Amino acid sequence: MGAETTVVGRSLPLIDAREKVTGRLKYAGDLPPLHRMHHAKVLRSPYAHARVVSIDTSKAEALPGVSAVLTHKDDITGRKKTCNTPWVDPSFNFRGPMISEEVCYVGDEVAVVSAVDEDTAKQALRLIEVEYEEMPAVFDLEQSMQTGAPQVHPWGPNALEPSLFQWGDIEAGFRESDHIIENRITLGNQQHAPLDRNACIAEWDGDCLSIWTSTQALFWIRDAVTDFFELSPNKVRVHSTPTGGSFGLWWGNNFMFLAIAVARKARRPVRLVLTRDEVQTTVKRRERPLIDARIGIKADGTMVSQSYRHIMDNGAYGNKFDPYQSVADIYTTPHGRAEFIGVATNLLPAGCMRGVGDLTLAYAIEQTVDMAAEKINMDPVEFRLKNHWRSGDICHTSQEVLFAKLLFNKEPQVALTSSGLEECIRKGAGKFGWKEKWKGWGTPSSVEGIKVRGVGVGISTHISGLAFFGFNGITIKVNPDGTMVLTTGIGRMGQGGDTTQAMVAAEVLGVELGDVNVVDGDSEVCGHTMVTFGSNGMHMVARATKAAAEDARRQILEFAARRLEANPDDLDIRDKRIFVKGSPDIGVTLKELMSSPIYEYLSPPEVIGRASRGVEFDKAGKMMICDYAEVEIDTRTAQMRVVKFVAYHDSGTIVNPAICENQVAGGYCQSLGMAMTEHLVFDEESGAILNPNFMDYKILGPLDMPDPEIYFEQVYDEDGPFGAKGIGEGVTCAVPVAISNAVYNAIGVRLHPPITPDKIMRALRQKSR
Amino acid sequence: MEYFNPGDLNEAYEILMKYGDAAIPVAGSTFFMGHREELFDEVDAVVNIKRLGLSYIRLEKGRLCIGATTTLAELHRTGLTAKGPFRIFAETVRELKIMEVRNAATIGGEVCIAGEVDMPTTLLAYDADIVIGSRNGTRTVSMSEFHKGYLKNALQTGEMVIEVQVPEPGRRTGGGFAKFERTAADLPIVNAAVRLTLGRGDRCSDARVAVGAATVSGIPQRADAAEKVLLDGTLDDERIRKAAAASNSIECVNDFRASAELRTLWVECAVEDAIRKALTHAGEEK
Amino acid sequence: MHPITLNINGEKHEVSVRPHWSLAYVIREKLGLTGTKTGCEMGTCGSCTVLLDGKPYFSCLRMAIDSGSYAITTIEGLDADGKLHPLQQAFIEEHGMQCGFCTPGMIIAAKALLDENPVPAELDIREAIGGHLCRCGTYMRIVKSIQKGARIARGN
Ligand SMILES: Cc1cc2nc3c(=O)[nH]c(=O)nc-3n(C[C@H](O)[C@H](O)[C@H](O)COP(=O)(O)OP(=O)(O)OC[C@H]3O[C@@H](n4cnc5c(N)ncnc54)[C@H](O)[C@@H]3O)c2cc1C
Ligand code: FES
Ligand code: FES
Repeated sequence: MGAETTVVGRSLPLIDAREKVTGRLKYAGDLPPLHRMHHAKVLRSPYAHARVVSIDTSKAEALPGVSAVLTHKDDITGRKKTCNTPWVDPSFNFRGPMISEEVCYVGDEVAVVSAVDEDTAKQALRLIEVEYEEMPAVFDLEQSMQTGAPQVHPWGPNALEPSLFQWGDIEAGFRESDHIIENRITLGNQQHAPLDRNACIAEWDGDCLSIWTSTQALFWIRDAVTDFFELSPNKVRVHSTPTGGSFGLWWGNNFMFLAIAVARKARRPVRLVLTRDEVQTTVKRRERPLIDARIGIKADGTMVSQSYRHIMDNGAYGNKFDPYQSVADIYTTPHGRAEFIGVATNLLPAGCMRGVGDLTLAYAIEQTVDMAAEKINMDPVEFRLKNHWRSGDICHTSQEVLFAKLLFNKEPQVALTSSGLEECIRKGAGKFGWKEKWKGWGTPSSVEGIKVRGVGVGISTHISGLAFFGFNGITIKVNPDGTMVLTTGIGRMGQGGDTTQAMVAAEVLGVELGDVNVVDGDSEVCGHTMVTFGSNGMHMVARATKAAAEDARRQILEFAARRLEANPDDLDIRDKRIFVKGSPDIGVTLKELMSSPIYEYLSPPEVIGRASRGVEFDKAGKMMICDYAEVEIDTRTAQMRVVKFVAYHDSGTIVNPAICENQVAGGYCQSLGMAMTEHLVFDEESGAILNPNFMDYKILGPLDMPDPEIYFEQVYDEDGPFGAKGIGEGVTCAVPVAISNAVYNAIGVRLHPPITPDKIMRALRQKSR
Repeated sequence: MEYFNPGDLNEAYEILMKYGDAAIPVAGSTFFMGHREELFDEVDAVVNIKRLGLSYIRLEKGRLCIGATTTLAELHRTGLTAKGPFRIFAETVRELKIMEVRNAATIGGEVCIAGEVDMPTTLLAYDADIVIGSRNGTRTVSMSEFHKGYLKNALQTGEMVIEVQVPEPGRRTGGGFAKFERTAADLPIVNAAVRLTLGRGDRCSDARVAVGAATVSGIPQRADAAEKVLLDGTLDDERIRKAAAASNSIECVNDFRASAELRTLWVECAVEDAIRKALTHAGEEK
Repeated sequence: MHPITLNINGEKHEVSVRPHWSLAYVIREKLGLTGTKTGCEMGTCGSCTVLLDGKPYFSCLRMAIDSGSYAITTIEGLDADGKLHPLQQAFIEEHGMQCGFCTPGMIIAAKALLDENPVPAELDIREAIGGHLCRCGTYMRIVKSIQKGARIARGN
């Protein structure tokens, strides 16, 4: 267990809260214009698949105020002409040439214009004449996998090589089983839909490039840009601002490259801000899954064998072929198989979104598990308690194992470090009132006239980062008055990572949170920091932050030891004061220490703590999730509402409860959106998105759901700083399936998200027939 | 694009006439600005009509007169429509959950759009008249004749809506409005407005049932069949359900927002809910 | 181009505008007041909310050219005297934000509410921000923040 803490564990305000409530926080779209700056607009393909036969930009170029027009003829390709190393490709979204003559989805880039203002740039777009030759397109996952299907993009087959994980003897496992349950699921197309819009400003000074963009992936973008434009890292400076939400949307993306290239051609700074339509239809979406699940159980409810085939729609340029990390490990079985196949379609590129992999697979597993429990008429909570994954169990489907194999040809084992899953399930059931509400399979928990209620449960796990995202280089500089500056490349997407890193530093150094300033978002200044995703901030990046703080602390204690004529090991820091452990009266304040000259140097000390830390991958700290939902369906109107929602999560030590509550509430809200209303609709004929804005892509608002009840099971994780694990992504994972299981118990029909009134109406009608 | 901000009606009429179909009157601008990208090319003259003195709600000779640029927030707040026989207007506005839009959007704008908006449905149920003005004087068109389709209406070149008139409902008359949507802040997927008058023995002596947003025609429509069921009967549960079911003859749009089948169901539900509300209110009115 | 004068947070700004320019565009791009955000530019997110004569409007749906005769308040006007507005204080303390992008719009809408109704019920609060989205899903703590802001404003 951890020692007592004074900063860690408190709901201290976000360190940038004041900037946020006063409107002074600058997202990329808020940055003041640079001298001579022009504005860019993008011409986009109306076809899902076509070749640009001819493109005439002469009229656009002649329009007064236009500084550059860029098309595929500029042939900006970079070194990598094909995407042969997808996972390590920093942008996850590589498309060969920056603008190709072959456009692969509706919205694909055809030309970019920069002009003196946005109105002129828009006008110029209308003057560009393009002749397209349409090519056959494919939108359906399974069709795309068939031989003879149209090839989605100029390189490679539509279906990537499957990644496969197997343990035990899967067929023997099914032979041993008393019941085998098969299930096929798919979900809707969820969009990240942050409120903020992606923006990038690019400025060249000779062969030196600076860009300003909102992102969670500072160093990925730096690396992508250096790679693509063949520049040395010392010629590229990326400034990342906080993002107005992200959820996985704000990584590297082609639009940044467009801004950079058009700025070079225009010989002036250029800003590109995407419109809401563009954010919704041209950046990214969550991969839509098609999952076949097969689970074998004994008559007593013991799970014996599990097999999943997870196909994911990558869209035109997504590159996912891997399983994320150990997403199929929710239940421990002697036999298992998990296969993941990424498939291209001529649709908006798809990629990671909050809860990636775990959300989709947990949906399939948790629904199939419910069906299994129903088969033997066992309470779903009991079934989960009997079979769930436990601390020390093996992560059979770990991506890290896959990488160890790829890079070193080794096959190590990765084990789970800690788990409060059992407590989450048990205590969650208590808070929810499961025993009182549960009335049996497909049976409402209550009926009041035309309104029926049903309850459902779902569990999941999620990573707290992945080792191969890289080392984290952190510095902490102590000022003469004892305040300090923490430098980190952590992304700021609203998850409060800057605040919690500073809390870790403050805890180690015996100062208050307000004493720590954070400098972030500058690739020249910050040490390499993992791209902030996969919930890695608290569990992985903070290890480096803690180590840097400990380094600074060691230096402080050494200086203090000289002054106090004591042994550094006998000293401690608390409340900004260093003192001798046995006799606390003997001491010196941090301020005095840091501002008083030392005799030999006639100068005060300078303390810079630093750490560069990779993370060993053989132990996985994962967050554990159990969600309970009660829904009410109005059988007259086919409308559904959530009545009660209990989230019981284990993220290890909760470093800042308010931040974590907001994360859980946010994950609930977003995933409930996915469960009920959120779905990008592609036109079946053209592949165009029919609901490219919030008028029709329905995000839930403040009147649409009750607040969730949130509880944390704080299991101390020995690997995590102060016992912490990750939280940001996992909070979404079990929500859709808890809802969908609840719907089943309310009306006796299994429906897949988005569970719209249309689907409910049809289900009710079918049932009553 | 030119911008005009006329200070009186005649000035406005002159500009509208001069620019003809290339002129667009703008009131609350919530629709105009939301669609500026599409409208940008078509429009030569933007005519701000908010300084024409058309923002009022008053009772004149037994008719409620609402100036075209009266905002939805004003309809929600002001005595005449907030309570009493015209409170259906406040109740209609209440279903629009966006305060900022209520503050800006005008009844004239709602009337001219007619598609996925609420007020025209209520106006149809209340036999409203639309007063149209132009350089050539004013004319009045009934609500049932005003709309020709989505964004299409009886306005001719140089004309604009200046007022909406609603006859005062008779004794023991009540109104009800119901809306179905995907999320609280959504445009209506279906709405319905009902006006009922109770006669001797609490039998229904007059009934209007109007349905909007869902219709294939793109404009609010009367559900005649439902009205027939209501008329002359006692409004018990069974009759109300029968009337609601009779409104399913209205042809509904089928799109990704909702299937025609769901809209048809919701039309029934909305009509039922609106009838029940109207009945309650009619009972309360003396 | 049409010259207009905008009265924002008590200061007069002379600026030339085109008729189709929104108030949001002008205050952000021409006047550099970027505290007002523009998430959708079509009235569906609430991040651009400003007050005109004390009432909340979506500045993306307002013609700038027609905004000259109002006293406009943006988020920058709330702490113009260097002191945080009670709502701002409450949002900080209660964690009424995550990414912060919706925050200025939420606070402005809440200010309009409190100015009219100093003791709002929870439903009043939710309705006052009914047209605002928070994609980070912070509604629970936004509501708490507004309740607390109301308490601070009332002096208890
Ligand atoms: C996000 C959002 C949600 C909404 N939800 C709803 C809802 O649920 N229910 C609802 O009822 N409304 C809703 N509205 C409002 C509705 O969609 C329209 O925006 C509004 O009714 C337009 O009113 P306005 O005064 O702003 O019109 P404007 O934008 O000023 O004008 C709209 C159109 O009408 C014409 N016009 C306006 N006034 C006149 C006149 N006097 N004479 C001739 N022509 C005129 C204009 O030329 C223009 O074509 C919503 C709006 C938004 C942005
Ligand atoms: S930007 Fe104005 S409401 Fe979204
Ligand atoms: S805090 Fe991110 S949108 Fe509300």
